[in-house]
Amino acid sequence: MFYLALLADEKNATEWAPDSPEFAVAVARHEAFTERAGSAIVGGAALYPSAEAATIRNADGRALITDGPFAETAEVVGGFYVLVGTDLDEVLEIARHIPEAIVELWPMFEWMPVTDQNGCWLALLREPVAAAVAPGTPQWDEGMAEHEKFGRLAGAAVRGGGALYPPDSATTIRVRGGELLLTDGPFAETAEVANGLYVLAADDRESAIALSAKIPVSPKGCIELRQIVDYAE
Amino acid sequence: MDGDTLSRVFREESGRALATVARMVGDLALAEDAVQEAFAEAIRSWPDSGLPNNPGAWITTVARNRALDRLRRESLRGDKEHDAARLVPPPDVAEVWPVRDDQLRLMFTCCHPALSPESQVALTLRLVAGLRPAEIARMLLAPEPTVSQRLTRAKSKIRTAGIPFRVPPDHLLPERTPQVLACIYLVFTEGYSATSGDTAIRDELCEEGLRLGRLLCELMPDEGEAWALTALMLFHDSRRSQRTDDAGDLVPLEDQDRGRWDGAKIAEGVVCLRAARRRGGGPYGAQATIAAAHATAPNWAATDWDAVVAGYDELAAYGDSPMVRLNRAVAVSFRDGPDAGLAEVDALAGEPRLTRTHTLHATRADLLRGAGRPAEASVEYRAAIGLAANEPTRRFLARRLAEADGARQIRPRG
Repeated sequence: MFYLALLADEKNATEWAPDSPEFAVAVARHEAFTERAGSAIVGGAALYPSAEAATIRNADGRALITDGPFAETAEVVGGFYVLVGTDLDEVLEIARHIPEAIVELWPMFEWMPVTDQNGCWLALLREPVAAAVAPGTPQWDEGMAEHEKFGRLAGAAVRGGGALYPPDSATTIRVRGGELLLTDGPFAETAEVANGLYVLAADDRESAIALSAKIPVSPKGCIELRQIVDYAE
Repeated sequence: MDGDTLSRVFREESGRALATVARMVGDLALAEDAVQEAFAEAIRSWPDSGLPNNPGAWITTVARNRALDRLRRESLRGDKEHDAARLVPPPDVAEVWPVRDDQLRLMFTCCHPALSPESQVALTLRLVAGLRPAEIARMLLAPEPTVSQRLTRAKSKIRTAGIPFRVPPDHLLPERTPQVLACIYLVFTEGYSATSGDTAIRDELCEEGLRLGRLLCELMPDEGEAWALTALMLFHDSRRSQRTDDAGDLVPLEDQDRGRWDGAKIAEGVVCLRAARRRGGGPYGAQATIAAAHATAPNWAATDWDAVVAGYDELAAYGDSPMVRLNRAVAVSFRDGPDAGLAEVDALAGEPRLTRTHTLHATRADLLRGAGRPAEASVEYRAAIGLAANEPTRRFLARRLAEADGARQIRPRG
């Protein structure tokens, strides 16, 4: 099974610019984690600070674009990992060592591995909890057909991505003094929670926004667009 | 065959049958449906054929066959969710019985920390204890649709989030076993602490908690805290009938009729506590030690207060809290006199976690009353009444206040 680990933290608490010394320290911690987790990590990225993000909503068929991150959350996503394991316990054994305060762990319905994420953007799909649809239902199949349409439209710009199970299946992980604290459900207290993700290639912020605006979301959902840190820089 | 026999068999055997079939087919929901079908089959055929020699094995075998039939049908249809890879070969009879490990697996799955405590309790009552959603709803004083939805969500999370159906490996047991213990204790305390709702139904919840505790001792005989938890529940339960009076008011320990405590439960508790002590200590062991000192004392004054104080010291070593220190102060007051107790209580005056509830004021009031200072006690009882969270507690404190006020008039302090 694949699991998406969304690395969350309080807004502005640990958001470092990629050229700052704090960022370098965080990178070192994540490198140690990556070494420990080994082949259990099949994807992931660090993200540029959320101040440079864009949020895209679908307002009556027109894309409504807001600068900055998804505004209503007290926490921001600083990065993500995609982990693989035979069951939740196996993945928790890995995820508990992620060097971040809060990790949302989402079982994935499917995962298309990212081929090359240099110069890419993360489009994180957020949907209201009430709009959550379970795999196997007609609504899910309709949604999947919409995403296939987007896939054909975007072509090679889609470098990878995945769909998540509904929020009831998520688990929030905190580690305090070596003790693992688990909570049922996502961390976000807000109405809109993660639902899926794309890793998109785009020349610049404008074209990334233009492409993301075509991703199908429900009337109350949104896309949080974040630039992926390119370590080769 | 009467309905009572069938429902008794269902209670006793459904958890075991479910645990075994779930292990064989690797799917909890499928196993649950199959066990239901097996019981429906039993209701149809047993009145003619009579009760089988081993009803549990009968149910398990029929349920297993139903589950395997379904898997075969679905794999023929090419159903992606249940593909042929999940098909397991038909098991031999030895695999069906005994099922101790299967039941333990089921308990750990129901109490997985990625499930909310409410879901853990509902799932344990449904899957391990074999209660129907309607029964669980009555016991937990929750609407049946709420309980059903909670169960559906929890089972769906087990499936989609990949919560494994197995006893955790040894290195995970220290953090997972307390979850199972806490869930069982929660089942018990839901019944024991409640002061509203149908008493008979809440009694059943206490019985279920005890049954689960005894079962866990059987399944994990080396786990000292399982024995300690069972001892603790037995000591509490021995005085369940005496903790409220006919009007439903709380009767404090010191005023209870000890002759009407359940001696058999106390004796079983003592045996369980001894078993726990041979296997090391833990927070439940400390609490059971305190409960045992009360349960085995011939009367309030003869309580072994040294043992009670030592129990609170041990409990504080596993996790210090103002509440533990407050209870310790009360024990000290009985061992060394009210002034010694008051000195300890006063040291807790600034604790925010205590000042928000009635407990600190009520304790000070009791100690002041014991120290022969009823005027000060009255003031504290009044403050406690203002903070009391429920009606029986308020009534109890009001009674104490009236006593203190009476004492002021009869024996003015001077």
